[in-house]
Amino acid sequence: MATVSTDLNYLQGKKGLFSWIFSVDHKRIGLLYLYALITFFLVGVTLGILMRLELLNPGKDLLEAQTYNQIFTLHGVIMIFLFIIPSIPAVFGNFFLPIMLGTDDVSFPRLNLLSWWIYIIGAIMALSTLIFGDGPADTGWTFYAPYSVKTGTNVTMSVLAAFVLGFSSILTGLNFIVTIHRLRTPGMTFLKMPLFAWALYATSWIQLLATPIIGITLMMIVAERFFGVGLFDPSIGGDPILYQHLFWIYSHPAVYIMALPAFGIISELLPTFARRTIFGYKAIAFSSLAIAFVGYFIWGHHMFTSGMSGTGRFIFSILTFLVAIPTAIKVFNWVATLYKGSIHVHTPLLYALAFIFQFMIGGFTGLLLGALATDIHLHDTYFVVGHFHYVMFGGTGFAFFGALHYWFPKIWGKMYNAKVANTAFTLLFIGFNTLYFPMLIAGLMGMPRRYYDYLPEFHLPNMISTFGSWILAVGLILMLGNLIYAYFKSKEKPGRNPWGGITLEWQTQSPPPVQNFDRMPELPKNGPYDFEHKPTIKE
Amino acid sequence: MEHASGFVLPNSGHNRDAEASKMGMWLFLFTELLLFGGLFIVYMVYRMINHEAFLLSSFELDVTMGTINTVVLLVSSMTIAMSITAIQKGNIKLSVNLLYATLAAAIIFMVIKYFEWSSKIHHGLFPGMDYYESLPKGEGLFFYLYFFMTGLHALHIIIGAVIIGVVIYRTKKGLVTSEKYTLTENAGLYWHLVDLIWIYLFPLFYLIH
Amino acid sequence: MENKNLHNTENHKEHHISSYKDHFSTLLALLLLTVVTVVVSVFGADLRSLSVATALLIATVKVVVVAYYFMHLKYDMKLYTWLVVLVAVLFVAFTALTSIEYFNR
Repeated sequence: MATVSTDLNYLQGKKGLFSWIFSVDHKRIGLLYLYALITFFLVGVTLGILMRLELLNPGKDLLEAQTYNQIFTLHGVIMIFLFIIPSIPAVFGNFFLPIMLGTDDVSFPRLNLLSWWIYIIGAIMALSTLIFGDGPADTGWTFYAPYSVKTGTNVTMSVLAAFVLGFSSILTGLNFIVTIHRLRTPGMTFLKMPLFAWALYATSWIQLLATPIIGITLMMIVAERFFGVGLFDPSIGGDPILYQHLFWIYSHPAVYIMALPAFGIISELLPTFARRTIFGYKAIAFSSLAIAFVGYFIWGHHMFTSGMSGTGRFIFSILTFLVAIPTAIKVFNWVATLYKGSIHVHTPLLYALAFIFQFMIGGFTGLLLGALATDIHLHDTYFVVGHFHYVMFGGTGFAFFGALHYWFPKIWGKMYNAKVANTAFTLLFIGFNTLYFPMLIAGLMGMPRRYYDYLPEFHLPNMISTFGSWILAVGLILMLGNLIYAYFKSKEKPGRNPWGGITLEWQTQSPPPVQNFDRMPELPKNGPYDFEHKPTIKE
Repeated sequence: MEHASGFVLPNSGHNRDAEASKMGMWLFLFTELLLFGGLFIVYMVYRMINHEAFLLSSFELDVTMGTINTVVLLVSSMTIAMSITAIQKGNIKLSVNLLYATLAAAIIFMVIKYFEWSSKIHHGLFPGMDYYESLPKGEGLFFYLYFFMTGLHALHIIIGAVIIGVVIYRTKKGLVTSEKYTLTENAGLYWHLVDLIWIYLFPLFYLIH
Repeated sequence: MENKNLHNTENHKEHHISSYKDHFSTLLALLLLTVVTVVVSVFGADLRSLSVATALLIATVKVVVVAYYFMHLKYDMKLYTWLVVLVAVLFVAFTALTSIEYFNR
């Protein structure tokens, strides 16, 4: 057994690149994910801004039609498979789950490192389509058959990349489930776990049980491209719509892989900054499981206009409405948590509040798309694009940034400039809404998605949207710049507990020691957010 | 892990935890089940759409060979289960021999599979061959699925055989003992999964006529 | 490094060791079921639609036997049984929803 001095935290000790990329310490692996994710996120943002530039005015300005198709596909693949699916679990889950459970690592530390490596290999494969083969896929991130088997672009490599990334996701989920079952500190029952752990638990089950389906489906696409004949070919009796079924059996639950961890983050931020216990702990915990469960049965609502049977559409529409219930329960509980709380406004709380606002817009527009009648009009319009960016970026993205600001002092033991952080938040909030709200309107007006050009009547919303993308970009640069500056230059030592939180990560040093704790963490008496019997945290 | 101050957390991810390993293996088996699950859904839908074609095609398959392979796999499931009993009782030699028996069954299975596949390929039933292209609608799907699903299953047999080889090697080196036999247990779980999938593949392809 | 993690709820039971005889009986049961399913299929061709249902039913019984005895579910924590049931429910729901859709085309 290695004896580690209490003086050393996880950032000190072994130095050099290899001590990081072969580290089995969950904290270092979390940061490895963070750096990789931010890099890919910025690539994705750049592609997004390029698309917005093309759409500033009607007609061809900047990009060829084919280039545009490849760019939106790559933007989708990068943002979904490389950024948003791993985002919160891989970074903050890895870093904080073991600490919040009061243990020193995940159950399978080496497997954890392996998942990071698989992730990196998948990422390299996805980006290699830029250089090798006949250019990146132009199918959209959904790889719908039969186009995906006919197009000359490098679909095979993109699909294989998604398959490999799926493995990474499965292994992370597996690791978290076992960790939660086996390594909770004595006295921490399931119902005394922080809600972030609950959210990760529900997420992990989706990662584990849904991802294999897309894995095998993508293999069928590869086989079809390889043999020149395949399972989705109508000429031999196959059905291309079956591909869509299989794709969405994974990809709809995957939406909850992206959203549930964000719910967990919000459930951490609100009690800390309202200084009171979370309202409806059990309701939030179990609604995570309910969302995960119901989320498996509603994939058909992505296919209302694909030629599915009427009965199928009817059933999937009803089931879709069911999932709104546990989601609404969460929002009610969050708002109720703020009621009569002693609210301390800090940057992370601002992100949490923006999350609730934007996620609600995303959720309600989602109901319009889940309703059969309205979806026929709105399907494949910019309304859909606006909707899922409100959920994914306005929801999960903002939760990710909120978590970054919340745990920044814990991860690095430094503090950022709060004023600049708040300014950056304001720019992001304004930029985000200016960018995506007009898309909802353009969609209602009937503007289809995935075109590099549009009719003149859609000019105004598109122009506003592109202006929004610039504000958002400035906000992003300011936010990241502020954090990077703080990382290098900050002299401020935030101490163990800068925000007054009471979950276990605030009881250890910032940055945490290699073993995570330098003394036995103390559980609050009645659940993780019991501010009335909070443990005293000495420096 | 231990601190210089002497403080040690009660639970650690670096402790050996047999139950955690087993849980991890079960969770992995679930992903395998759903991997094949996706293919079973494809099979179900296409069988629904091309009912008659699937019935006719299944006559092409050799029930005798399929049955023999089923028996081989069932017997191998028993031998690996017995191997766990043997290691639990401390009988290392018997445990290793039973693992060898399982390995032999895996090889027999693959040999029979080889003859089956080559006779099908000889008849031109492999996707992309001339005769395959001329098959009536729906029959092509049956053989496509036959090759895809039994092929993926065979891949799992090979992986399982490699894992069993590793267990034999480590048992002989004394790394698996009557106190520490998680490896054998997990290899057993994996091998049973391979058997489980075959239990469904067999009737769905060979016996539906 | 021995297993010394402390657990709140999931202390596992004493390890049960199955006897060789039990394993052999399980195999006999499985072989018997295989014979039944082959016989029904080969000689019961006039049963047609019934034969698929019977074959799947027998396969499911075999799978349960393998999981329960060979895979030790009977002697493990109940958690595993519940999780297996969960996965089965999920898969059945996938097939049910898909087949409802296709039946009504």
